[in-house]
Amino acid sequence: MKRYPRWPIHLALLAVSFVMLVPFYWVLKTSVSGENIFSYPPSIIPQNPIPYYYVDVWYAIPFARFFFNSVVVSAMTVVANVVLNAMAGYALTRHFHGKTLVMMLFLSCMMIPFQATIIPAYLITAKLNLLDTYLGLALPMFSTIICIFVFKASFDAVPRSLIDAAKIDGLSEWKIIWKVMMPLAKSAMATNVILSFIWSWNNFMWPLISTRSPTMQTLPLGLARFLSYQEDTTGALYAFCIMVLAPGLLLFLLAQKEFVQGLTSGATKG
Amino acid sequence: MTVAISEPAVTRRAGFMGRKSTRQAVLIWAFLAPSLLIFLLYRILPLGWNVLLSFEAWSPMKPAVFVGWDNYEEMLFDDPVFWQALWNTLFIIGSAPIGIVIALGLALLVNADIKGRDTYRTIIFLSYPLMTVAVAIIWRWMFDERVGLINYIARVWHLVETPIPFLNSFTWALPSVIAANIWQMLGFYMIIILTGLQNIPGTLYEAAEIDGAKPIHRFFRITLPLLRPSIFLCFVIGMLNSVTSFDLVYVMTGGGPGRATEILVTYIYKLGFTQTRFDYAAAVTVVFFILLLVVTWTANRLSGGDAGAVERG
Repeated sequence: MKRYPRWPIHLALLAVSFVMLVPFYWVLKTSVSGENIFSYPPSIIPQNPIPYYYVDVWYAIPFARFFFNSVVVSAMTVVANVVLNAMAGYALTRHFHGKTLVMMLFLSCMMIPFQATIIPAYLITAKLNLLDTYLGLALPMFSTIICIFVFKASFDAVPRSLIDAAKIDGLSEWKIIWKVMMPLAKSAMATNVILSFIWSWNNFMWPLISTRSPTMQTLPLGLARFLSYQEDTTGALYAFCIMVLAPGLLLFLLAQKEFVQGLTSGATKG
Repeated sequence: MTVAISEPAVTRRAGFMGRKSTRQAVLIWAFLAPSLLIFLLYRILPLGWNVLLSFEAWSPMKPAVFVGWDNYEEMLFDDPVFWQALWNTLFIIGSAPIGIVIALGLALLVNADIKGRDTYRTIIFLSYPLMTVAVAIIWRWMFDERVGLINYIARVWHLVETPIPFLNSFTWALPSVIAANIWQMLGFYMIIILTGLQNIPGTLYEAAEIDGAKPIHRFFRITLPLLRPSIFLCFVIGMLNSVTSFDLVYVMTGGGPGRATEILVTYIYKLGFTQTRFDYAAAVTVVFFILLLVVTWTANRLSGGDAGAVERG
């Protein structure tokens, strides 16, 4: 391959990186500004950075409560997703009557975005008496079709001879699932955990519809409500924003490789 | 004696086999049941209920009355807001290629053999997994009329004399929301296209180079055709995502000013949950769903294959 100059590539990528990062910086800067956030011209570097707004927001909203609600709902979603999707994915690797029907059902469900079901979903949840409960918040996301197919692909990749060998050794179906299949499906499991966590952690529309009491609000809902009470007038909003974003960012940077892998496999295999 | 013993053994064995296969079928269906139940409850049933509801006049605490096409007639002939929301939704779908073209360029750049490309990839992808509500607040602040960074830069560089109230302007509000959406989705598109790029066999390029093909020809004759599935996958996902980008619109503009950024999903939400017109909202949902089906189907046909769809929650 011919050598080509690298600096134009770096220049272009640096410019894009700047555009991608500057909004974060701008909000971070605002959140530690001690002065009036509306003074013009805005300071590029905070004049005398103090964490005043963080203290302010800590007393203004039940952050710990929102955080706890988010954790509970996400934990329920993640556990349910791993268990239900693994079961369904395993069932789909087998032959049985009605398999084509089930596959067709799954594939057509994939075409129904949740946003197109909100009215009946609300009415159903109300009928089940689950409005304003953790279970009601998590239930619609208990199983995801993409993730079922991720598990199915992973189980399909387990060599048939291995399963036969386990059968000859006298392992029962359950033992085969737990001792042979699941350990080999670790990456599918990671994909499931990461995707379902992100989806439920960031979910805003369903909590908005299905919760009433302030004590049941999750973080995204708490953030949006705070905005609607305060408008943009206080730096505390941006401190809140940073507090919400920080855990997600940290998690992403730690599990970046798995996340990207999961996402691409979920998107291309689905 | 031997016969007497072996015969029951054979029948028992056959019976055992029979029971085993039913037991297996039961196991399979038991494994499928919970997921199926969730999808029946929250996908299939809502779909049917939506259609049913759209032909009724109903609100909570009142008996439902069948009204035929009344809701649809009102929507199509007496509701300018519906048309505005439909138009805005189509506008957002139409803007999807902008992000994808930028992402294609970025994917080519970060696929080059340069130092620090992993860092670039991380930075560009960083915004995708973030909470959209927070992203919306970030961009509200960026677009702020008085002290937003964008207006500040525009004024310092003398691009504008008076600051532009982006999110309060009928002209600028929708493009601003779209810009924020592209900013968030860019990294995701890039990763999908990058995966596609890395799946193109290097031998193709070598052969083309030996044949004396210029880089520009290599791009249009090899890269682009082979990336077609990835690009259409991006389009389908991007379309589903942007059309349903309820969070962004709700937090950034709330559909305003006026109805300038109202999209079908926000309109459905408002009809259902602030005006309690579930019946009419259901009719709008049916139209919205048909629109999604048509666009996805078209994109699938154009891609010449099955572009999968990722759903976000």
